[in-house]
Amino acid sequence: MRRGSIVTLSGIGVIAGGIAAAVALLLPWLPQDASREAGRTDFLFWFVIAICIGIFAAVAAVMIYCVLHFRAQPDDHEDGPPVHGHTGLEITWTLIPFVLVSAIAVTSGIVLSRNDAQARDTLRVDVTAQQFAFTFSYPDAGNVKSPVLRLPEGRSVELYMRSLDVIHSVFVPQFGQKEDLVPGLVTQLHITPDKLGTFPLECTELCGLGHALMRTQAVVMPAKAFDAWLRKQQPASATAAATHTLSVSGAKVFKQNKCASCHTLAAAHAHGKVGPDLDKLVAYAKRPHKPLAAFVRQSIVSPNAYIQPGYQRNVMPQTFGKTIPKTQLNALVSFLVKSAQKASKTKG
Amino acid sequence: MTTTTTTHDVHHAPTPLGGGGGWRRLYRGGLLRAVWMTPLFGGIGFGLVVLARWAGSWHPILATEPLVLVAALVAAPLGFLGGIGAFDYWAYYALGYPTRAEDHTGHGARSWRDYFRVNTDHKVIGVQYLVTTVFFFLAGGLLALLVRAELAKPGIQYFDPQTYNGLFSVHAALMIFLFVIPAFAGLANFVVPLMLGAADMAFPRLNALSFWLLPIAGIMMLSSFAMPGGAFACGWTGYATLCSSHQPIGAIFFNQGVQWAGASSIMTALNFLVTIITMRAPGMTFWRMPLLVWANFTTSLLVVIATPFIAGSQFFSMFDHVMHTSFFNPVGGGFPLGYQHIFWFYSHPAVYIMMLPGFGIMSEVIAVFSRKPIFGYRLMALSLMAIVVLGFSVWAHHMFVSGMSSWLRVPMMITTLLIAVPTGIKIFSWLATMWEGKLHFETPMLFALGFLSMFVIGGLSGVMLGAVPIDIHVSQTYFVVAHIHYVLFGGSVFTIFAGMYYWFPKMTGRMYDERLGKLHFWLTFVGFNLTFFPMHILGTEGMPRRVADYLPRFADLNMFISLASFGLGASVLVFLYNMITSWRSGAIAPANPWRAMTLEWQVSSPPPIFNFDEIPQVVGAPYEYGVPGAQHAVLAPSRAREVEEEAVPV
Repeated sequence: MRRGSIVTLSGIGVIAGGIAAAVALLLPWLPQDASREAGRTDFLFWFVIAICIGIFAAVAAVMIYCVLHFRAQPDDHEDGPPVHGHTGLEITWTLIPFVLVSAIAVTSGIVLSRNDAQARDTLRVDVTAQQFAFTFSYPDAGNVKSPVLRLPEGRSVELYMRSLDVIHSVFVPQFGQKEDLVPGLVTQLHITPDKLGTFPLECTELCGLGHALMRTQAVVMPAKAFDAWLRKQQPASATAAATHTLSVSGAKVFKQNKCASCHTLAAAHAHGKVGPDLDKLVAYAKRPHKPLAAFVRQSIVSPNAYIQPGYQRNVMPQTFGKTIPKTQLNALVSFLVKSAQKASKTKG
Repeated sequence: MTTTTTTHDVHHAPTPLGGGGGWRRLYRGGLLRAVWMTPLFGGIGFGLVVLARWAGSWHPILATEPLVLVAALVAAPLGFLGGIGAFDYWAYYALGYPTRAEDHTGHGARSWRDYFRVNTDHKVIGVQYLVTTVFFFLAGGLLALLVRAELAKPGIQYFDPQTYNGLFSVHAALMIFLFVIPAFAGLANFVVPLMLGAADMAFPRLNALSFWLLPIAGIMMLSSFAMPGGAFACGWTGYATLCSSHQPIGAIFFNQGVQWAGASSIMTALNFLVTIITMRAPGMTFWRMPLLVWANFTTSLLVVIATPFIAGSQFFSMFDHVMHTSFFNPVGGGFPLGYQHIFWFYSHPAVYIMMLPGFGIMSEVIAVFSRKPIFGYRLMALSLMAIVVLGFSVWAHHMFVSGMSSWLRVPMMITTLLIAVPTGIKIFSWLATMWEGKLHFETPMLFALGFLSMFVIGGLSGVMLGAVPIDIHVSQTYFVVAHIHYVLFGGSVFTIFAGMYYWFPKMTGRMYDERLGKLHFWLTFVGFNLTFFPMHILGTEGMPRRVADYLPRFADLNMFISLASFGLGASVLVFLYNMITSWRSGAIAPANPWRAMTLEWQVSSPPPIFNFDEIPQVVGAPYEYGVPGAQHAVLAPSRAREVEEEAVPV
């Protein structure tokens, strides 16, 4: 190989590598990380990206050089030199990738084991998923329940996750951690949040027609504020069944159970399109000839009993009869009945 | 549009069994008989189910799911296959009737009608495969454009969520099972026997049957859109328990469609294996086989070993759905992750089933258009074998976030990353083949270079996905969508295009339009990158895949991607126009327009009905470009001279 060609080749390589590096550095690739795990993963990401840019630049340089320099003239019908191989080269390009991928494997292994290591005072949060909502509960604080994942800053958190129907997945891009929730299993996910803020929490495993809307939020709070929030929730929920009276607001129950992911209801500012439009409940109840309140209650407790034409069976979870305490259910039913009657009047 | 030269047809005028016209046509194997046998078998299936349910007093007697499954998805397709005559020979033999002595009436194509019957000629079957798969490529592509239309803006615009989920599920299923895998099988069907110096495949009737299973699978998947509740909508991965217990009836159209396509794959792979092992011309040792043959040999090994696993997973999922078994349903003691393990034990090797034949095409095209021998031929063949072996030890890298045993992640990461080594060997060897060559940039070579550059990007993003912590961040996001399209579009589809252009003259006897070919390449290359590269960013930023609606902050990139994808879609029209007009009225192709050494180019374009007048004697390696006086094979003298006269330099 002539010296001139080596210079040209390196030049093309530097340009190609530069362009790739610019794409890597100038475009907004990773979200601002908000957990120690995401910080380590980001380091690994850039480590692997650097190796990838090197390989990409080398391949691009050789290819572009070939295209520019070895182009046959239109009337050139000769063949190239009959080179069949070169053992030294072949060994080289077997060994170099081997070394590079080994480096990636070792680094990844270290990052992985650190990301999974729990600290001594790890906070336990139980996550329950069903089509199409998450519920978070805090077993160390009397099973306080929340539709939003609230976490204290700087503390190691382990999520213990269950699914009631199909496979779901918990993902907060800023935390860089993700794990599926599998029916019949308890899976775990470790997060150490280190930035305050509110981040999107999304289901990333296709779980049916409401999948795209199965989103909530992760809120990282200062440790003290978090403790205060937990305390405030506790008395109400520790003795939930006993103390909850009819005063519990149906709107709150509607919100807590994430009805809005699937249903439209003007009174609750809900715009879900997966299930029937709850503003039309008055009209729906006329088909099966049932009184409105009884119809609404039956549709929550055993949703397959009557299916409004145009919608499908087995989409709405059949577990609400068990998971919503009776007083809350009563409140929810009366809330829905009132809102629906109001909606039908405004329309009529 | 015939694929055989006419000189050989004289001895083989078709003499259909039973002869005559009129009513007898209804009883002769063909589309006409299929028209009544399909509903007849469907009716028999229907009757059997009703009878069994009535006898067992299972109510309701007219249960939709078992009826549709047995009547429409099993019995009717069997009736169709019987009707067109795919089983005739075996049925006569099994029932003790006199079988027809092979008179080769089912061989070769004399008019377009011969493409619509059970034909045992590997060249006709190859073309049948390619035309059918291009049809499903168009259907799958249209579905993708509908997906992009919905995604152009956040919120839900055109499709309800179930329909949307159906669009991308059927898109992926068609592209994988009805385009990439069978398009490679079609190219290999045409080329491999010719390259080996064989007259046909080892089992021509089995070959015909494998083709006719395909349209059944494709129509089944498409027709699921007409079912109550819509098409199957759980992604092409069909994960339990969503697909096995929580979906409308469309789901079993996927389960069953995969069975028909999978059966087709297995039959073809067995056929290739036997053909390659037993029907090589004298002198064609394994180390003298073109790399395309090596590629199909290794691919067939993968297909034969792995495909039964997806068949099993789909049967079990369907049993859970229709018969309420509990293979995967935890309520009855089943294990949902079991589905993923079995599914990926096929579907990761399937990635190589969709890649290795493309590697073979690349080796042919790059050697010929660089006018140099393939660099490191033996290591190229051995790295294919290495990929086969390693390919079976990496499946769980699709499951790093699935909740499987966490210790499994590191070993699977190591094997996954190691696959980069044999893949790297191939890429570096292709580059070294081009080095100091005499490069000609006809359309197949352009697609080869496009493949090389895009596959490097897809391979590198694959390395990133192999690293567990990065995978945990980006799996199930658009990063994965970008990665698979760089591998399966930038990889597989580019090589399929390269192969179609490269062998178009041999298949049709006509040249394609070079200017349109180049236009097609540039439109595809640019459109492809504009469409799929930004998806990497969407993914790392956290946009999940398989959603009809997304957070508003992803809106701009999605609009850009959708616009680019419509351009990419339009580029296919150039390809179609070129193929159709060139097939009808392109310039007559010489026997060997690319001055290639492999055997398929040493016979006329299109080849004679039995490929070779005399079985060739192989005397050397297949890529001896630039070696003075080198020959790959010696053909009967008369034929060789003819070819020499016909040969026109590029």
